[in-house]
Amino acid sequence: MTPLLAQAGLTQGVTVALVLSAALFTIGLIGFLVRRNMILMFLCTELMLQAASIAFIAFGRMREDTGGQTFVIFILTVAAAEAALALGLVVLLYRRRETLSAEAWQELHE
Amino acid sequence: MSAAVTVAERIGSLVPEMIVFGGSVVVSVTGLSPKRSVRAATPFLSVLTLIAALVALTKGWGGSTTAGLLLPGVGPFARGLILLMGVGGAALAAGLVDRRYEEAVARGVAPFDPIRVVRGEFFAFMLLSICGALLIPGSPDLIWLFLALELTSLPTYIMVAMSRGTRRAQEAAVKYFFLGALSTAILVYGFALIYGSTGSLQLTEIRAALAQQSAMGGIDAVGTIGLLLVAIALCFKLAAAPMHFYAPDVYEGAAAPVTGFLSFLPKMAGFSALLLVVDAAGWGGMSNAGNGLPPALQATLWMVTVLTMTLGNVGALLQRSAKRMLAYSSIAHSGYMLMAIVAGPELGLPALLLYLLAYGVNNNAIFGALSGIERNGQEVEKVEDLAGLARRHPGAATWLAVGSASLMGMPPFLGFWAKLVLFIAVVKSGHTPLVVIAAVNSVVSVLYYLRLAGVPILAPSGAAAEGVVKTPSAGPRLAAVVFGVGVLVLPLFMNRLVSQIEKAAGVPQKMGAAAQPDALQAASR
Repeated sequence: MTPLLAQAGLTQGVTVALVLSAALFTIGLIGFLVRRNMILMFLCTELMLQAASIAFIAFGRMREDTGGQTFVIFILTVAAAEAALALGLVVLLYRRRETLSAEAWQELHE
Repeated sequence: MSAAVTVAERIGSLVPEMIVFGGSVVVSVTGLSPKRSVRAATPFLSVLTLIAALVALTKGWGGSTTAGLLLPGVGPFARGLILLMGVGGAALAAGLVDRRYEEAVARGVAPFDPIRVVRGEFFAFMLLSICGALLIPGSPDLIWLFLALELTSLPTYIMVAMSRGTRRAQEAAVKYFFLGALSTAILVYGFALIYGSTGSLQLTEIRAALAQQSAMGGIDAVGTIGLLLVAIALCFKLAAAPMHFYAPDVYEGAAAPVTGFLSFLPKMAGFSALLLVVDAAGWGGMSNAGNGLPPALQATLWMVTVLTMTLGNVGALLQRSAKRMLAYSSIAHSGYMLMAIVAGPELGLPALLLYLLAYGVNNNAIFGALSGIERNGQEVEKVEDLAGLARRHPGAATWLAVGSASLMGMPPFLGFWAKLVLFIAVVKSGHTPLVVIAAVNSVVSVLYYLRLAGVPILAPSGAAAEGVVKTPSAGPRLAAVVFGVGVLVLPLFMNRLVSQIEKAAGVPQKMGAAAQPDALQAASR
């Protein structure tokens, strides 16, 4: 913990939340890069968004500011819009190829 | 501070955006009309909406409040540019969506079924995307910026899938969407860390907090990582390294008019957002050569710049598909424009705005020429297939050549002046190595631009080139002529253009060059 954060009143609970958020973000990023199932890849990006939400709430608590929680509501809204779009696209692709693997789609390359 | 700006004032500054939004509702209805003439008027209505918004902006209905905004002078210029290029984008796409189905309905082969037409939705999404891009330059806080960026990008994913019924378009849409979702997640995490470091979502307050941290020995680790994550996420919008690799696939998979739209609007949106973020990070300071960015961010941007232009130009050399080549060229141009960010606000900002204008005009001219021709109802994909185009379709070949020459930076076209101003700005700011790398890159780029310009004029036409015909819609050709003439004529007004842009960019100069106008006045007296 850097002295600057300590000054700002970083409490034990906030630290735990931030560690959780960083772990979720990392898991999501690694999952996105190694998984090839399109639904799982999308869930990994959702995981990263929720990691950001947790970070926002934790920082809002630390700063005693409501801005962080406000942002989370907008993240949820955008995540819902993205999920609708993702499902639409995935269904469209599934009808064409009967598979969810991203590797079945490689027509576009050098 | 932002508290001084009332909600009513803020909403009052959004008249152009509201016009565009209203237009998107109208075209989504007219696209479903049982009358064929009303459906066919949909692209025309989109163009009218954008022109109406442009008029509203020039009448000053775009708001004059500057309180609580970063870089307020950039707002009107950027919004005008987005609307102007949006007009070109809508004209390019005029005959694209539903073409086969409409032809069948006109011949009486198929009955009209409102479920099967998507043209109205396509133009509604295009207008919504433009609306999102318009909102970015005037963002007072991170929530607004986040929502505006999402409004810009979400409709473009659907536009790619809709643009052609082919598997390649759908593959392109999915690739674009997944990487877009990844970049959104990285962006939001970066915003969270910036919020954690500064304790505020207001951009002006973030700038003050970061400036205070810089003065007390550097921005803390949380804030620095946040800024880096945001910069990397925005690289996706710019099609800049390390988030550039989707661009060739997506540009190739989407129909040419949508490719033209994608290679300007998200880039413009990305640069508008990046300007706000770097300004909040202390761009206007004077600690480095030309700017006051924290060293980690400055170094990252420097590397991203070099990588982007080099990968873009080397990649373009290897391409046979015209659209893939233009995708790599678009990556390379992002690299050139990123040099302006490294150069700092005083010199870099006017150069960046001028370059964005020149790039947008060139882009619409080239994609207008490419969208206006087809072979067997398919787009002309390979550069070789353009051979002999000049004899059969001199218009398309001319605008293709003019656009390529201008992107290459050949005098006296518009692209040359933009590149000249940019390179001078970067040299003056003390980043000579960058300019040397950019100059080498420009020389490399001549090879492939000459191919795109020369093959239609010089190469003997083969069997494949014989079947090239004009598309039925006049929209793309009209856009090619208007923007092509722009490439030729705008250099004549270069002085006025540059002074206008410098006025627009003038506001952020207060940190370094506040004394300059006074000094100039004193000198003229």
